Amino acid sequence: MKNLSVLFLLIIFLSVTTMISAGNGPGNDSGVIKLKVDSDPTVSFRIWFKVGSQDDPKGKEGLAYIVSSLLSEGGTKTKTYSQILEEMVPLAASYSANLATEMTIYSGRVHKDNLKDYMPYFTEQILNPGFREEDFNRAVSDAINYLSTTLRYSSDEELGKAVLYNSVFAGTEYQNTLYGTISGLKNITLADAEAFYKKYFNRNNFVLGIGGGFDESLVNELMAELKKLPEGVENTKKPGKPAPVEGLNVTIVEKNANATAISMGFPINLKRGKREWYALAIANSWLGEHRNSSSHLYQVIREERGLNYGDYSYIEHFPNGGRLSMPPVNVARNNQMFEIWIRPVPNETRHFALRAALRELTMLVDNGMSKEEFELTKGFLKKYVLHYAPTVSARLGYAIDDRFYGINGSHLEKFRKMMDEITLDEVNAAIKKHLQYKNMQIAIITDNAQALKDALVNDSPSPITYSTPKSEEILKEDKIIEVFPVKIRPEKIRIFKTEELFN
Amino acid sequence: MKSVLTAVLLFFLVVTNMNGQKVFPYETHYVELPNGFKSILIPMDSPGLVSYYSVVRTGSRDEWEPGKSGFAHFFEHMMFRGTDRYPGRVYDSIITSIGADANAYTDDDLTVYHLNFASEDLEKVMDLESDRFQYLNYSKEQFQTESGAVYGEYRKGRTSPVSVAFEKLREIAFTEHTYGHTTIGYEADIKDMPNQFEYSKSFYKRYYRPENVILVIAGDLDVAKTTGMIKKYYSSWKPGYVMPEIKPEPEQKEFRKAEVEYDGKTLPLILIGFKADAFNVNDKDYMASFAFAELAFGETSELYKKLVLEEQKVQFVAGWPAMQRDPYLFTIYSMIKNPDDIDYVLSEIDKTIEKFSRELPDAGKLANLIKSSKYSFLMNLDTPENVASSLPPYITLTGDIKVIDQFYNALSKITPEDIKNAVGKYFVKEKKNLVVLRGK
Repeated sequence: MKNLSVLFLLIIFLSVTTMISAGNGPGNDSGVIKLKVDSDPTVSFRIWFKVGSQDDPKGKEGLAYIVSSLLSEGGTKTKTYSQILEEMVPLAASYSANLATEMTIYSGRVHKDNLKDYMPYFTEQILNPGFREEDFNRAVSDAINYLSTTLRYSSDEELGKAVLYNSVFAGTEYQNTLYGTISGLKNITLADAEAFYKKYFNRNNFVLGIGGGFDESLVNELMAELKKLPEGVENTKKPGKPAPVEGLNVTIVEKNANATAISMGFPINLKRGKREWYALAIANSWLGEHRNSSSHLYQVIREERGLNYGDYSYIEHFPNGGRLSMPPVNVARNNQMFEIWIRPVPNETRHFALRAALRELTMLVDNGMSKEEFELTKGFLKKYVLHYAPTVSARLGYAIDDRFYGINGSHLEKFRKMMDEITLDEVNAAIKKHLQYKNMQIAIITDNAQALKDALVNDSPSPITYSTPKSEEILKEDKIIEVFPVKIRPEKIRIFKTEELFN
Repeated sequence: MKSVLTAVLLFFLVVTNMNGQKVFPYETHYVELPNGFKSILIPMDSPGLVSYYSVVRTGSRDEWEPGKSGFAHFFEHMMFRGTDRYPGRVYDSIITSIGADANAYTDDDLTVYHLNFASEDLEKVMDLESDRFQYLNYSKEQFQTESGAVYGEYRKGRTSPVSVAFEKLREIAFTEHTYGHTTIGYEADIKDMPNQFEYSKSFYKRYYRPENVILVIAGDLDVAKTTGMIKKYYSSWKPGYVMPEIKPEPEQKEFRKAEVEYDGKTLPLILIGFKADAFNVNDKDYMASFAFAELAFGETSELYKKLVLEEQKVQFVAGWPAMQRDPYLFTIYSMIKNPDDIDYVLSEIDKTIEKFSRELPDAGKLANLIKSSKYSFLMNLDTPENVASSLPPYITLTGDIKVIDQFYNALSKITPEDIKNAVGKYFVKEKKNLVVLRGK
């Protein structure tokens, strides 16, 4: 029975992936990705436009976001947004454009019964967006409010990550949030948005992904419609490489807060598809599988010491980590980073928590994984990745990402296969090659920044006391953690106020 | 996947005829043990994948003793600390070895423990789950350590102005009933959790009983074999559920209002809660409030068009019907761009309600919204996890999956007159609670 089930699982993966056929559209170089599931009573669309926040013009940061917002929540040439909302109610379907750093996905899903009525709305929005003043004003004001109030004041975890990315990717197209900057947003005009759309949402700059219970004729009809997109060329822009991080650098954002959010990391030169990536994925999963109690950092910081709600690590960009339990699709990027996320800890334990995390990373880099940890983790991952893409729409998302990364076949299928092939030596070699602990950016959202700076500069001990009893073993380890050397030179520490960010 | 999707397809055919009584599109099997433990099995053609949801019909509503707010949620954390047979670390390593996606959540009326995994591991999971529901055992030290993690969760949520405003709304709206506190609980109670070790044992004894838990298994399963496993693993569980002593909320007879200052910058936020009824598919007024939420405050409502799209005075506005075991609140909330517009937005909301209490809504629009909500619910039922995860809010209220059919059938019968009557009944000033939150 056991083997049979595993075989079944494998068959699903194979059957899905072999159905993905690459091909060129009629008179078009963009191509089509098809994922046909005849029994699916719905049809899913994901159109990948090769444009992202990396294409924001200088001084108009946030433009890609505004355009994606107008495609999701804006009128067309003939209809207002509220008319569209009203008319689409009986279809029980919607569409939206989602922005990432290097891609924009225009997607939708509808029941086959309603397909005929739905298609005119789906295509009209992308072919003839309205660029209406009222939609534009709303999109800009919402984005400015997000940066100036929500991100600055009411989500310290997201704030910490934004500050980290800004440091790691300083000087590159990745340095801003997807929403750009407040001054950039204020600078954008409606004409800018329309010009940006015409430049990038063109007939030669997309890949059509279609999945579920569709007929071949639908693909041809849709491709014929998409030929009506503006004339233009494929966007082949590659983002600039981040500069190597030198030493330990800390950015503290001072804020009146009773808890401290910490994020840290450095760029890595490794993308999915390469064998080494899967080796590193095993090490990363052991150290910090996202939202999973199997994460070692989680065990040390949360489970044993109760300092916070969770502690994770990443080798691929993972936006919306607070909301998602599985990795998102269609946030593919050419430049990736290694990242550790320490969820808010009480201010009095911030220095200790930072040390604990860095010490675990240090031990992983210096000692590698043990045979036992390796075996457990690869067994875990082999089955766990089955949960990554449960729906047709998610699988379509993975297929698009495969195309982005130039993976022949399927990343998820390869992931499972690699769990049978990769050796412990390969994992430890990948750790040595790609991970390190001496050169890193660290972002900390906390109060009383100067006191933290002094403690970091002096490498002062950070003894921890608990209001509840702890075992001898833990107290003994605490003695080591509290003096674990994390000495930071004063010129490597910057302190900001929230008001100074995202301007 | 085939038959799963075919089932959904079949449903759509049924709905288009509008004669069908059956809404939930899958076959369901019930297993009930002599100890009162109920299971719902939903076989789906999802080769190799199973979703396993243990729904405890206890949530923060059951925290009736003073100083115990947040305890149901805290206890959810303790459920991962293991038993004598499978201590926490062993439990974790088994879950890890089978690559299961496992987690839990707590709400007012329920606590849900859920896992997705390969069907070949079903018996292993049932062994683990039935074990921790019957024989949970943790040390005082583990208990106290976990309280730190819960405090961490409180801190991470506390930066959100919505949670701050929401805590206040419940506080003013409920003077007696336990809905007066949020699920995460009050900070003072969370701080005191390390001292509640003995209480936690009693909490487990009273609420984690077979009569109070419903198991849902959806996906690739054999009904006969799974039934056998349920009998094997859950029959030893001793009944002994003790009802919480929740005080009913006295009738509200006056308008209540509170102003809250948020410790940081935020756009102003308003939360309005009108006293509503308990979840009851047989109550026309209650069912009408579901449709009213969409009609009056949804994306296609006149109010949304005016405030969000045309005048752009608010970042968002929405209405949310009550869906609780005891009478709760119909909640309306909005984030306002300019503090000077707070009174204007409040008066626009009042005008909307007043209009619906006077005029009949458009019958065609009402029918479309109802049809759309049903389609959306069904389109989501495409994987074992999506099926299993959509059920707890319904089954915790009545203990039975049939309520889904009843719910959507009742909803489809709501008329414009029903909406008008319901608005007249619920949305009156003496049942209203208002919280206005402003930034610094």
